[in-house]
Amino acid sequence: MSRFLKLVNFEFNRFWKLYMVLMGVTILSQLTGVIVVAQTYVNQANKAIYKELMPMREFIVQNGKLSFHNITQTLWFLGPIGICLVVLSIYVFFIWYRDWLGKNTFIYRLLMLPTARIHVYLAKAVTILLVILGLVALQLVLLPIENQLFIRLVPNDFRTNLSLFEIIEDPYLAILFPHTFREFILYYLGGMAAVLVVFTAILFERSFRIKGVFWGILYSAASILICLAPILVNEIFLGKYFYPMEVFFMELVTGLIVLSGAIWTGNILIKKKVRV
Amino acid sequence: MIEVKEVTKKFGRKNVLNGVSFTAEKGKITCLIGINGVGKTTIMKAIMALTPIDSGEILINGRKIHKGSYEKITFIPDAITMLPQMRISEAFTFMADFYDCWNPARASELLHFFKLKESDRISELSKGNTAKVNLLLGLAMDVDYVLMDEPFSGIDIFSREQIAEVFTSHLIENRGVIITTHEINDIEHLIDKVVLLDNGVVLKEFDTEEVREREGKSVIDVMREVYQA
Amino acid sequence: MDVKFNNRDPVYVQVIRHFKEQIATGLFEPGQEIPSRRELANQLKINPNTAQRAYKEMEEQGLIFTEGNVHSRITKDEHVLKMVREELILEAVDAFVHSVRSINVPLHEALNLVKNNYEKE
Repeated sequence: MSRFLKLVNFEFNRFWKLYMVLMGVTILSQLTGVIVVAQTYVNQANKAIYKELMPMREFIVQNGKLSFHNITQTLWFLGPIGICLVVLSIYVFFIWYRDWLGKNTFIYRLLMLPTARIHVYLAKAVTILLVILGLVALQLVLLPIENQLFIRLVPNDFRTNLSLFEIIEDPYLAILFPHTFREFILYYLGGMAAVLVVFTAILFERSFRIKGVFWGILYSAASILICLAPILVNEIFLGKYFYPMEVFFMELVTGLIVLSGAIWTGNILIKKKVRV
Repeated sequence: MIEVKEVTKKFGRKNVLNGVSFTAEKGKITCLIGINGVGKTTIMKAIMALTPIDSGEILINGRKIHKGSYEKITFIPDAITMLPQMRISEAFTFMADFYDCWNPARASELLHFFKLKESDRISELSKGNTAKVNLLLGLAMDVDYVLMDEPFSGIDIFSREQIAEVFTSHLIENRGVIITTHEINDIEHLIDKVVLLDNGVVLKEFDTEEVREREGKSVIDVMREVYQA
Repeated sequence: MDVKFNNRDPVYVQVIRHFKEQIATGLFEPGQEIPSRRELANQLKINPNTAQRAYKEMEEQGLIFTEGNVHSRITKDEHVLKMVREELILEAVDAFVHSVRSINVPLHEALNLVKNNYEKE
């Protein structure tokens, strides 16, 4: 195994425990959500139909059929996704700072490895990417299972069946599971660029400390500006002169520029400027 | 040879290194001594490219440091460079995974010498034992140069004795060692060369045996002359 | 082996002196195998480079010799051994004379005292 892959493996293992917790929370909360939402609805229906003797048809007219969308919009379902997002956002910073913090200065070791230092940077980036993809994959596996559970809990007459594709048409889930290849590229490239810009901003701070905070913010602002430039120019100055497809390609280019700019700058910083 | 040439470094407005030059040869123990300031540690970090320098040059075997250099030179800072939650065996695996120069036989020899166990968790070690593991990780690498920052500070006398014994053993044979300390008494007989620093400059660089032979002075005699002049 | 080193003489010189004393007192016999450089460094708590230097110097002075490249031995050369003994005696006498002279003790008085004390011990 190459040293780079070993580094990725090592960084990934350091996240492993927290990762297990995140996945556990997601699975538990979403499954509970399915059961709670379904049971509440079924109990309500039972009560209405058997106790209040409301005809089934009228109950459905009044309350609507239950669909999986009713579940995906609850806190049970979106909560753990939110938690994962928050934890990951914090981890983007923590993945660097914990190597400097405390009396165990692991950053010494990482910077003294006989491999190009950019590998340390990239290994951390790949770890974040893997973690995100892993969680997305978990969600993708979890959805059909949850759907099956939902089908078992709610009788046929009371539910609208949705295919997996229909389920992920939910506006929130659409961010995790883009519908078109174009959106996929845009979201994930944008996401990775954002992570790398933050990484490089962190390295600015780690290289120049207080002054570096200023440089880091300036650098991040410049990156965001470049990233959004095609949209801004098109909307504000050109009055939507370009077709969406053209804007997409321009976005792709600026996204790649920002992404490679982050790696290039990060490489210089970690190689020549960073201090322990 | 490690050549430090006219190195300067500022922290904010403070000049920490003010044109520091000295050399450290393979097969010799060179001791950096300074009365005040953070210069000594900064020099070591600068040699390892763990902190950038403002001007000057540092060469290792005639070359600027590059990724391959870390197979030839290592730095043992005053804090352990492994994750606290690791067991010693895991730290060994990590070293073996990343360094070609890692010498597992020597690692177990040192482990035995320091009376430590592979199953020990780093976070559960005493201060002295942590220092020993830290030292061990550096010394079990087959490198030409070892830099040690204050290996004797803040640990009990028996650990200190054990660590001093390392300097009299084959573990440092044929290697170039740079060590910083402010406690010269313990190791006066052990060092080959002394570099006296103050306020970011080298005040004197001398060979200990030569100064004894030619001038009949101990290292402390010379320090007294230099620092109290 | 336990040697107290002073800080003002070269360590390698003190090591050589230690060897000479051992030879003169007969603790090291002619032809006896001596510790390797490594062992010596470890025993005397000096660094291996210093041990190496001391051995090199002793070899040049003919105090020790190395067969092949394994172990070094104390010389069997009677002449050298005698010289070592004389050198140490002379050094001791020199030191004695120097301190006795510095307090103005006449020679015959000093010699009498030496004789009495020597026999008492």
